[in-house]
Amino acid sequence: MNYTSFNKNEEFFVDMQRCIGCKACEMACAECETNGQESLIHVNYVDRASTVQTTVQVCMHCDDPVCANVCPADAISKDENGIVHTANTERCIGCSNCVMACPFGVPKKEESYDLMMKCTMCYDRTSIGKKPMCATVCPSGALFFGTRTEIEEMRPNSTPINTFIFGKEIVNTKVNIMMPKGSTELIIY
Amino acid sequence: MAKLPVAEENIVKHFGPTLNYAPKDGYVGRDEPDEAVKTHCCFCGMQCGIQLLVKENKVVGFEPWMEFPFNEGRLCPKGVQRYLQNNHPDRLMSPLKSVPGQGFVPVSWDDAMDKTVSEIKRIQEKYGNDAFSMLSGVSLTNEKSYLVGKFARVALKTKNLDYNGRLCMVSAGAGNKKAFGLDRASNNYSDLEYAEVIIVAGANISETFPTLTHWIWKARDRGAKIIVIDPRMIPLARTADIHLDVRPGTDSALYGAMLKYLVDHDMLDHEFIDNYTSGFQETIDAVKDYTLEWAEEVTGIDKNKIRQAAELWGKAKTSFLLHARGIEHHSKGVDNVLGCINLVLATGRIGRPYCGYGTITGQGNGQGGREHGHKCDQLPGNRDIENPEHRKYISEVWGINEKDMPGKGLSAYEIIEAIHRGEIKGLISICFNPLVSLPNSNYVREALEKLEYYVCIDFFLNETARHADIVLAGSLQEEEEGTTTSAEGRVIRIRQAVTPPGDARTDTSIILELAKRLGVKDKFTYENSESIFNELRVASKGGTADYYGITYQRIEDEMGVFWPCPEIGHPGTPRLWEDKKFKTPDGKAHFNPAPYKLPGEVTDADYPVILTTGRVVSQYLSGTQTRRIGKLVDQYPEPLLEIHPKLAQQYGIKQRELIKVSTRRGEGIFPANIVETIREDTVFIPYHWSGKKSANQLTPGTLDPISKIPEFKVCACHLEPLKEIAAPSNESTAYASV
Amino acid sequence: MKNNTYNTKALLIATALSIFMIALVFFGSRKLQNFDAALVTYLFGTVFAFFGIVYRYTVWLQRPPTWIYFKRGITYLITGKVFSHFWFATKESVENIAFQKFIYPRGKYRWVAHFMIAVGCTSAFLITIPLTFGWINFAMAPNTISVYEAYFFGFKVMDFNLDSITAFLTFHALNWSSYLVIFGSLYYLRRRLTNPGLIATQSFEGDLLPLILLIAISVTGLGLTYSYQFMKGFAFDFLAVLHAVTVIMFLIWIPFGKFFHIIQRPAQIGAHIYKKEGMKMGMVVCPHTGEEFATKLHIQDLKTVTEQLGFDFSHEDGTSHLDLSPEGKRSRLAQAHLKARLKGGNLFG
Repeated sequence: MNYTSFNKNEEFFVDMQRCIGCKACEMACAECETNGQESLIHVNYVDRASTVQTTVQVCMHCDDPVCANVCPADAISKDENGIVHTANTERCIGCSNCVMACPFGVPKKEESYDLMMKCTMCYDRTSIGKKPMCATVCPSGALFFGTRTEIEEMRPNSTPINTFIFGKEIVNTKVNIMMPKGSTELIIY
Repeated sequence: MAKLPVAEENIVKHFGPTLNYAPKDGYVGRDEPDEAVKTHCCFCGMQCGIQLLVKENKVVGFEPWMEFPFNEGRLCPKGVQRYLQNNHPDRLMSPLKSVPGQGFVPVSWDDAMDKTVSEIKRIQEKYGNDAFSMLSGVSLTNEKSYLVGKFARVALKTKNLDYNGRLCMVSAGAGNKKAFGLDRASNNYSDLEYAEVIIVAGANISETFPTLTHWIWKARDRGAKIIVIDPRMIPLARTADIHLDVRPGTDSALYGAMLKYLVDHDMLDHEFIDNYTSGFQETIDAVKDYTLEWAEEVTGIDKNKIRQAAELWGKAKTSFLLHARGIEHHSKGVDNVLGCINLVLATGRIGRPYCGYGTITGQGNGQGGREHGHKCDQLPGNRDIENPEHRKYISEVWGINEKDMPGKGLSAYEIIEAIHRGEIKGLISICFNPLVSLPNSNYVREALEKLEYYVCIDFFLNETARHADIVLAGSLQEEEEGTTTSAEGRVIRIRQAVTPPGDARTDTSIILELAKRLGVKDKFTYENSESIFNELRVASKGGTADYYGITYQRIEDEMGVFWPCPEIGHPGTPRLWEDKKFKTPDGKAHFNPAPYKLPGEVTDADYPVILTTGRVVSQYLSGTQTRRIGKLVDQYPEPLLEIHPKLAQQYGIKQRELIKVSTRRGEGIFPANIVETIREDTVFIPYHWSGKKSANQLTPGTLDPISKIPEFKVCACHLEPLKEIAAPSNESTAYASV
Repeated sequence: MKNNTYNTKALLIATALSIFMIALVFFGSRKLQNFDAALVTYLFGTVFAFFGIVYRYTVWLQRPPTWIYFKRGITYLITGKVFSHFWFATKESVENIAFQKFIYPRGKYRWVAHFMIAVGCTSAFLITIPLTFGWINFAMAPNTISVYEAYFFGFKVMDFNLDSITAFLTFHALNWSSYLVIFGSLYYLRRRLTNPGLIATQSFEGDLLPLILLIAISVTGLGLTYSYQFMKGFAFDFLAVLHAVTVIMFLIWIPFGKFFHIIQRPAQIGAHIYKKEGMKMGMVVCPHTGEEFATKLHIQDLKTVTEQLGFDFSHEDGTSHLDLSPEGKRSRLAQAHLKARLKGGNLFG
C-alpha cells in the first residue's frame, strides 16, 4: 500500500446536524476509485414521518475495530495510519458479521458480489494527499476534512470528540464528531 | 402537424429517457484523462465550478475544482452526476424528421434546414411574421442567449420570442426593476458571512441550491439567526431559529404585517428612507390594518412567531434577505417580491457590507440569459424593447433599421395560449420543455398539436420535442465555449470540453446556418463564441446590465467578473448600491405598496385542499437531463404526494396509498407520503415528471399581471384515496412516464 | 484482532495430520516403488504447505467468530439438518466454488480471468499432487509398445493408445493449465498496475507477488515442455530448477498469502446455510425502523461472539445496541447527537 503521501495532519470531522440530506456525498463516494461505482457512505432519514432530519455516516475507523474482530475470515485489516480497510475480496465470505456488529452501522453487504464493502476514507485520494470525495463535495459542512486548526477557527462553539458509548462499550475512533463546546463523549442511548 | 408520429411508448423506446450509469470501473480513460477542463455545472444558478475529465473527446468523469471561490469543490448530487449526460445513449446524433406511422427518422442537415426555412417562409407569408414564434431557455450561455434574441428579431423578424425564465424569476426581475431600476441580486454571497439575520423566503435552498447552504451555515457559525418562510419544514427550516410555515398564497400578508410591526415599533432607518427612497408613505398606508392577529388569520402562522421574526429583523445591524420561486410563482409574485424589498428598504440595510438582498436565480444562466435578449420585452443590456432610445441603440449595433425591430411580444405561456387560439402557427424552440414545465400541461399539449410547423433544437428528444416536425440535434453545455452569469451576478466562463458527437452540431452553428438561409448572413457572421461575446459587450454598453468591461481574458484571470462593469479598467461590482445611487429615473430606491390579494384560485367545497408544487434535490426542472441519469432517478424515483397525518386521517389515507389528485384542469395519481413536515391544509407534489406523473397537469395558467409568471405555487385540489398501496418506489418508471 | 504468536493446539493437529499425510504417501506409492525420486523436492514443499495450511486453518477456526460458524456447521451435520440443504449446498458448490459466480457481477472480464486461473490451478493441482506423492503413475502395458496404463494408488484406472487424443490431452494437460493461468493472471496484473483504487490499496507481497508467481510457474513449466520438444533440451536443467523454485515458493506461500482463500472459500457456503437455517428460526425486527434485517440466530451468536472478544454493547435494561439494524444504529446515533446539541443550547457551532 501507498503510505508515503498520507496526510497525517488532516482529520475527518462529521456534524450530522448540518446534513441537508442531498446525497452529494453518496454520488461522489461511488466515484472514488476504490469503490467501483458502489456508494459506501450512508445518508438516511432518521424518521421521515416526523422530521426531515437526515444523518450521514462514514466509517469512523475505530481504534479497535469491531468489524475486524468479528470477521471469521480475517478479511478486514487496519493499517498503520489507522485506516480500517474494506474486506479483502478474496477472503470475505459474505457472512455479514461485520455489517451487524459495527456499532455505527457502516459496512455494507453487496449481495450480488457476496462481499462486504466499506468506506476506506477514500484511500486512493487520501494516500496521495487529496481529501476524500464525500468531504470535498459536501455542500453543508456535515462532512469536513482538514486540520484541527481549521475546524477550531471555523466552528468556535464546537469540540470534536471521538469517544462513543454504546451501552457498556466505549469506542474510540479516528473520525471525529462535532459536539457542543466542552463535550468529551457521545452517549448513544 | 405537431402531433406525435407514433405511440409515445414507441418514442420512449427509441429515444428514452434511458437511465445512464457509469460502468463499474468508470469510463475508459478516467484514470489518465487527456485533460481536466475547468468549467461550471450545467444546472442551477449557483454555477459551481467543476472539472470535467476528458479522454478522446469524451467526458469520462469529474474532479472537484477546489479553487473556484463560490463553491471551492463543493457540489450537489446533480453536479456530481452531471458528467453522465455526456456519453449518453439517448443523445441525438443527427437531425430527425417526424414521419407519421414511422416515428422519428434521421434526415440530412440540408433537408432539415430546407424544410424549416421553407415552412418559416410559408407561415410568415400566409399569417404574418408574428405567427412564427420562438421559445428559448436560460441553460444557454450568454452568447447563445444573445444570439437567439438577435435571431428572432433580425432573422425571424417576429416579436413573439420568450423563454423559460418566464417560469423562473421574472417576478423578482420585475420587482427589482420597480424598486431599484435594475434586475440583479444586490450582493454576492460572501456578504452572507457576517449577516446577523437571514430571511429565506420561499427558497428550498438545501434542495434547489445545495451549495448555497455552505454560506448560510457559515453565517450561523458566526451567530446569525435564520428565519425560514415556507409551508413545508424544508431541511433548512428544521434547524432554523424561526420557521414561518406560511399558508401558500398569503406571503404578501406576512410581509405587510412585518412592515407594519417595524413601523409601529419604529425599527426603521429614517435617514435612509428620507434620503434615498420614495413611496414610503403610500406603502405603509397600504398595510396600516395588517395587525399580527390579522396576519395569523390569513397566513396561518402563529402571531408570536411573526412578532419574533419582525423583532429579529427590525433590531439586526446587518442582514440578508433571500427569496426564490416559492414567493415568485404566484399571480401576485411581483407584489410578494416588493413586500420583501419593502422590509429591506425600511431598515436601510442594503449597499453595505453584510447587508444584502437578492432573488436566487434558478436556472444555470437565468441571470445572464434574461439580460441579453430572449425575453419578449427586453433587448441586450437589460434594455427595454419599447424604449425608443434603447431600440435605436441596439438597431445600430445590429445594423438594422429601427422600424424593422419588432416590438414587445407575448410571454411564454401567452404564446402557448395564442397557439391554442390559432393565432400563432409556427414554433421554433431551443432549451425549453414546456410540456413538462408549463402549468396546465393538458392544455399545452392541445396547443402543440395545433401547430402547423414545429422545429426543435435539442440534444435529447424531450417530451415537447416529441411533437416536433423536425428536430435539430444541438449541443450540450460542455460542447461550446461561452459565458454564463451566476445568481450572484458573476460572469464566468463555460468551456468546451468536447465537440458534439456524430452528426450533431453546436447550437450556435445551427442558429447561424438558419439565419444565413433566412437571408441575413451578413448580420450573423462570427468567428467564434468570443466574437459573439464581444458584440454582446458593445450591445450591453450603457444598459443597466453593462458587460462592456468584461473580457474572456479577464474572466479567466479573475475567476469571474461581477457586472455592471462598464470599462475595461472597472473592477466589476460584487456589491450594488454602495453609492446609494439607484437606477430608477429619480435615482432613489422605490417603496411600492404591496397589499394582500387572494391567489388566483382558492379552496372551496369541491376543491378543499391547497396544492403547492416544487422540486427535489436530485432532479432539475423538467428533467430533460436529470431523468436520464440513473442514480439521480434512483434517489427520488417518482413524485410523491406529501400530506400531513391529520389531513391523511381525515381522508383515511395510508402511507404509500395511491391518491387521485384532481383540480379544475386535470388529475393525476400519486403515492401518499404522510409526513408531519407540511402544513395541515396543504399538499405538495414535486413537478419534474412528465405525462401522467406530471404535477403540471394540475397547476393553473393564472399569470401575474406584470411579470406573466404562472401561479405554480398555489391552487385548489381534491383528494381521492384509491384504496390501493403503490408498488415500491424503486420499481417506478415515472422517469419515462407518458 | 488479538495476535497469537504460537498456538499449541494448531501445532499438534498440523503435525499429526502431516505425519498421516506422509504415511499416505508411503502406502499410496506402494512403499515408494511408484515414487519418482526426481520429485522429492516438490514432495517436501507440498508436505510443508500441507502442514502450514492445517496449522493456519486450525488457528483460524479457533477465533471466536470462526469457531461459532464451525460449531454451527458441525451441529447441522450431526443433527442431519445439513441434508435438508443438500441440493442447496450442491448448487452453491457448483455455482460459487466451481464457477465463482459471485465474481461475475463485479465485472465480466474479472470473472473470466478468475475462472481461467481457477481452472488452470485446480487441474494442475489434481495432476501434480498425486504425481508427486506417487499416487498416480503411468506404465507401458505389458506386451505392447503403444498402450499406456494409468495407475492410481497402485490400482489401474485406465489405459490409452500413445497416438490417441486422450494421450495428447493427458500428457499436455499441464500445458493447457499453464496457458489458462498465464492469460488470467496477466489480466489481473494489468488491472492491478492501472486501476488507481487497487494501486492505492494493494501490497506487493499480498497482491502482486502471487500473480507473478503464477505466471512464473506457468512460464517455466511451459519452458520445460518446449525445451525438450523443440529445443533439444536447451537450458532444461536451468528451467527445471527455476520451475521447482517457483513452485516451492508458491506452495510455501499458500498458508500465509492470497492463495489461502482457495482453502477458505467453502466457508462461504457454510455462511449461506447458516443464514438459511437461521431464517427458519425467525428474523429480528429493528426497534428503530420496524423492519426485519437479520436472523435471530445471527444476532444472538454475534452477541456471544462480541462478548467473547471483549465487547459489551448491552444496555442496563437488558437490550443491546446490536438489536438495531445498521440504519437503526445510524439513526439512533443521529438522534443522540441532536439531543446533545439541543442540550448544548445550539444546533450549530
